[in-house]
Amino acid sequence: MKPSELEAGWFPAGLQNYVLPKTAGRVVIADNDIALWRGEDGQIRAWENRCPHRGMRLSYGIVRGNTLTCLYHGWSYDGAGACAGIPAHPELTPPKTIRAKAYRAADAGGFIWVANPGETTAPPSIDGDWVPNRSVHIDATPVSLNELAEGMGAGLVSKITDHAGIVRVHGVEEEILLAFLDMKKHGAMIHTSVPASASEDVAIAVSKLTSRLRQVFKASSAA
Amino acid sequence: MIQLHDYPLSGNCFKVRFLLEQLDLEYQSILVDFYPGYEHKSPRFLDINPLGQLPAIVEGGEAVRDAQAILVYLATAYDKSGKWFPRDRQGEVYQWLAFADQLTGSISAARLHDAMFYRLDVGKARSDGIRLLRIIDEHLWFAEKDGHEWLLPLPHPTIGDVACFPYIALAEEGGIDLAPFSSVSRWMERFMRLKGFKPMPGMMPLPMPKETP
Repeated sequence: MKPSELEAGWFPAGLQNYVLPKTAGRVVIADNDIALWRGEDGQIRAWENRCPHRGMRLSYGIVRGNTLTCLYHGWSYDGAGACAGIPAHPELTPPKTIRAKAYRAADAGGFIWVANPGETTAPPSIDGDWVPNRSVHIDATPVSLNELAEGMGAGLVSKITDHAGIVRVHGVEEEILLAFLDMKKHGAMIHTSVPASASEDVAIAVSKLTSRLRQVFKASSAA
Repeated sequence: MIQLHDYPLSGNCFKVRFLLEQLDLEYQSILVDFYPGYEHKSPRFLDINPLGQLPAIVEGGEAVRDAQAILVYLATAYDKSGKWFPRDRQGEVYQWLAFADQLTGSISAARLHDAMFYRLDVGKARSDGIRLLRIIDEHLWFAEKDGHEWLLPLPHPTIGDVACFPYIALAEEGGIDLAPFSSVSRWMERFMRLKGFKPMPGMMPLPMPKETP
């Protein structure tokens, strides 16, 4: 099986609070199934979502301290992806070759960002304090960030990546972070963050506008 | 003693087991061979529930059928705390019990198709399920915004949460991906951490601590 590679650059994989400390979650980026998890240190990690042992989804795993333990046979992996223990062979120091495939992962602007292991650019740096707001699933992927912003009744202020940017939402008069994640045949996820200083009303208005995107980006086969 | 006509792989039976245990009630589980035996359609079982559906309970010779009805019955008869079916919020609770019934008609149907080879329109079952997941995800997002963790704005779950939980937690067995529903994911996480929670097969995680205590 060929190792799965993302396109170059950083992808907005989800809102920061999608994966809380000491839990694991799952995200699909293009065709790639990825486990996201945080140890008690709070650091976000993104790994290929298959245990090197038997291919079980690591997103079902159990986080203890800063290790992730596969639900199937209990193989555990340290924060860097190296196998740290095999319950069936308690005396064995696991060989260094047993590793989960780790992508690069970072938190910025209220989002979790994921890139290829070999990505050479730094994660996006986003000025200001942002809080994660709302994630919504849509059936059809927008062609571009511009099209997405227009669909939301917003104007693009500045681009962060091809899939994320700062937009000004008409009627709300606030700049927010808007991003989309292409999941190919699974549609797309829309993620939004709002400034930490934004009022509750702004957060709710943005959430409602995000929901409405489902009507704009419908699957062509949908009635 | 309460007799529960039970099937370990049924989400509707799970709800009843969960509440019986939360209420600390003794019960006898009578296993019905739902699949592949279709024992719920047998004359013996049709005497207990003419609809031929699980679960049903029998107490003092009287039968109560339908998962949601059983939850209401048990909470009304045995929950002295009044937490599980709060008297002043019954309308809201019923709304989620009805919603849970729609989950049975969609997500559970998709799971019956995938896991037990039922013949039905699985595409429609999945798309109906996704429509419901979007609604409950949005509801939970607004709840979280107001600082609440459960379907009702109360500091504890109700039978509304109990009724909706299992078929959502089993959605992936019906080919419905839960990753897009982040508020639902957090709500499930909270539910699985309730004291005394015992998962059924197909519900991840298995009974191991999700975190170091």
